[in-house]
Amino acid sequence: MRMAPNQREPRGLVSRLCGGLGGWGMFLFSLALGAVMWTASWIGGHPMLGLAMFGIMAAFGAVFVVGRRSETIRLMAAGRHADERWRSIDLRATAFMGIVLGLAVIVAFLWAIAHGRDGQPYAPLGAIAGISYLIAIIYLRWRS
Amino acid sequence: MNNRVRVLRTERGLSQGELAEAMGVSRQTINSIETERYTPSLPLAIALAHYFAKPVEEVFNANGTQST
Repeated sequence: MRMAPNQREPRGLVSRLCGGLGGWGMFLFSLALGAVMWTASWIGGHPMLGLAMFGIMAAFGAVFVVGRRSETIRLMAAGRHADERWRSIDLRATAFMGIVLGLAVIVAFLWAIAHGRDGQPYAPLGAIAGISYLIAIIYLRWRS
Repeated sequence: MNNRVRVLRTERGLSQGELAEAMGVSRQTINSIETERYTPSLPLAIALAHYFAKPVEEVFNANGTQST
């Protein structure tokens, strides 16, 4: 009996973004994202900054090709096709990332208003986080 | 949660990788279950019990005492 992933199962960030691209797929996805960043920076008048971003994304993607013998790397590239333990790790890591981001936004917002600023852009970022959390609570409560 | 997965696997002469392949999970997951760092989902626990032809309660013990 093989354990197929449940399509309605909650998924973490890597699982949602990478959706089973595999090692070379992750490399190409990273290259494409890096190229978009480079283009955007070029349009904004900072081509060298964009080149640096492209290099970082290329190096990130290369990890999935160079390290494809590693089971952990293969599980990361497997996305939603990874096994249940990895999906659980991905989900918990995504929750941890959300907590860290939320706290960072709150601290930055407080720092900004304490320095006489209007709290931008942290106030709308905090609002997005709070509203998305409420929506998730309502949806998950209704669904489960 | 204690379990007898390692005992049942070695009794059958299986490697962690072979059991992982049969269950459709990674070898790391089997290792984590055997070392009791990861509690499997109910479907995986049932699948493991079916694989070893044992009732679930003979493979997994939720009250913290080692099943025999």
